[in-house]
Amino acid sequence: MFLTFALITLCAALGMLLQKNVIVAGLCLVATFFGLAGLFLLLANPVAAAFQLIVYSGAIMVLVLFVIMMLNSHEEEPAQASRPVQRWLGVALAALLALGSIKLVSASAGVAALAKSGAAVPTAMTLQKVGTTLFAEHVLGFEVAGLLLLVAMIGAVALTKRNL
Amino acid sequence: MDKLASLLHTSPATAWMVVKVIIVFSAVMLLASVWTWVERRGSAMIQDRIGPNRAALFGKIRIIGLAQLLADGIKFFFKEDLVPAEANKGLFWLAPFLAFVPALMGFAIIPFGRSFVSGGVTYHLSVLDPGNGMGMLYPLAIGGMAVYGVLVAAWSSNNKWSILGGMRASATMVSYEIGISLAVIAIFMSANGYDPSDVIKAQGHTPWTWFVVRQPLGFLVFFTCMFAETNRLPFDFAEGESEIVAGFNTEYGSMKFSLLALAEYSHLMTASALIATLYFGGWQVPFVKDPTVMLSVASFVLKLLFFAWVFVWVRWTLPRFRYDQLMHLGWKVMLPLSMANLVFHAWRMSQGH
Repeated sequence: MFLTFALITLCAALGMLLQKNVIVAGLCLVATFFGLAGLFLLLANPVAAAFQLIVYSGAIMVLVLFVIMMLNSHEEEPAQASRPVQRWLGVALAALLALGSIKLVSASAGVAALAKSGAAVPTAMTLQKVGTTLFAEHVLGFEVAGLLLLVAMIGAVALTKRNL
Repeated sequence: MDKLASLLHTSPATAWMVVKVIIVFSAVMLLASVWTWVERRGSAMIQDRIGPNRAALFGKIRIIGLAQLLADGIKFFFKEDLVPAEANKGLFWLAPFLAFVPALMGFAIIPFGRSFVSGGVTYHLSVLDPGNGMGMLYPLAIGGMAVYGVLVAAWSSNNKWSILGGMRASATMVSYEIGISLAVIAIFMSANGYDPSDVIKAQGHTPWTWFVVRQPLGFLVFFTCMFAETNRLPFDFAEGESEIVAGFNTEYGSMKFSLLALAEYSHLMTASALIATLYFGGWQVPFVKDPTVMLSVASFVLKLLFFAWVFVWVRWTLPRFRYDQLMHLGWKVMLPLSMANLVFHAWRMSQGH
């Protein structure tokens, strides 16, 4: 199961990068999100899987595809000049990100528990747990994120609707 | 069940799972195809016509025209399968499946009868057992995936009208999903859980404790938004045959068109099942405290069929909205209403009701 979803995720991500057609690339991204949701499910976190599908593939990607269809630019434009510095900087940053995430995963409590036999198995995530964690431990971050989204929303409305 | 399992060399749990999947999905597909006929007969009834009543088996056995299904199926299979010259071939093939699979998958979470114990093992009458952690988030997630069938069909046909239909579908879906989510959250709060079995248990067996009575505003919003989700009239803007030919399925013919049509009706069945589960007590039988398994299944099927009929009824009664009216209704009426519903129920809960 893990291999199936991992392969779906990886192949779709590669397809998204290599595909010249913007709409097909967008659909590949949807497949990536689907594979990611499957991986979340295997990690005993069905809530994250559901939200991955609802928020990313159900709302954000639909809007992105809507805009692409509206602009009617289905082919990727060729670059005006090659930019070697940006390209290598991008590769270096991606490598740094990969290294950091590998380090984080290998240092996590879940991996440490795998080595010991008889350690407490983490239970599956539920919506109730997500709620209590958000509102008990991460209230500040939650509220700041909400405020940020509100600011972005007001900005978007103010930019598009000059005369209300 | 145990005998069958030992006969097939599998465990009873696996055998039960397979049986459930076959029963549920074939029943939904069968109902969806029957409903194409019900729609035509229903529209005829409403418009004072007769409708398709002529098709007969072997030219003799005419069961009020039900053989029309078979005739349609055979006709669709033998029609020429055209693909437009400039279409994106792969996606054009993929689109009907992308539309059909999510429409069917959404049904998996719905409990269609009460759980029963046999031989010390509890059997649940839903494809996904309760306590799977996804609960009612699952149909929302799958419903979000359903729009891709329409979008891909629209774009890959390489047709202006199709793309217009696809764009309308995507905008509608995004606008109405917020109303649905907020209405469902109010249910989660009142039911004190988000698993469909929790929701059904919280409603009880008396009709006045069902959520349709306790949250009429939420029901109104959810019900309306379901029409937009399933792309049914009065909100069938993806198709809109009087404005954009046939919208996203203009270029489709033969079995591919039939699959798109079946997807629409499967979606209708899933939507009716969701309405019955969330607001009308699911498999609960009115005034019967502990119904037998068969009675509970019958009760659920009856509710499902009733709401599927309401979908047909509304389609042939109300005219289509204008597109700006749809957006206006979605953002300026449905969203505030569902928010008011949510805040009201949150306030009531904080008062200790």
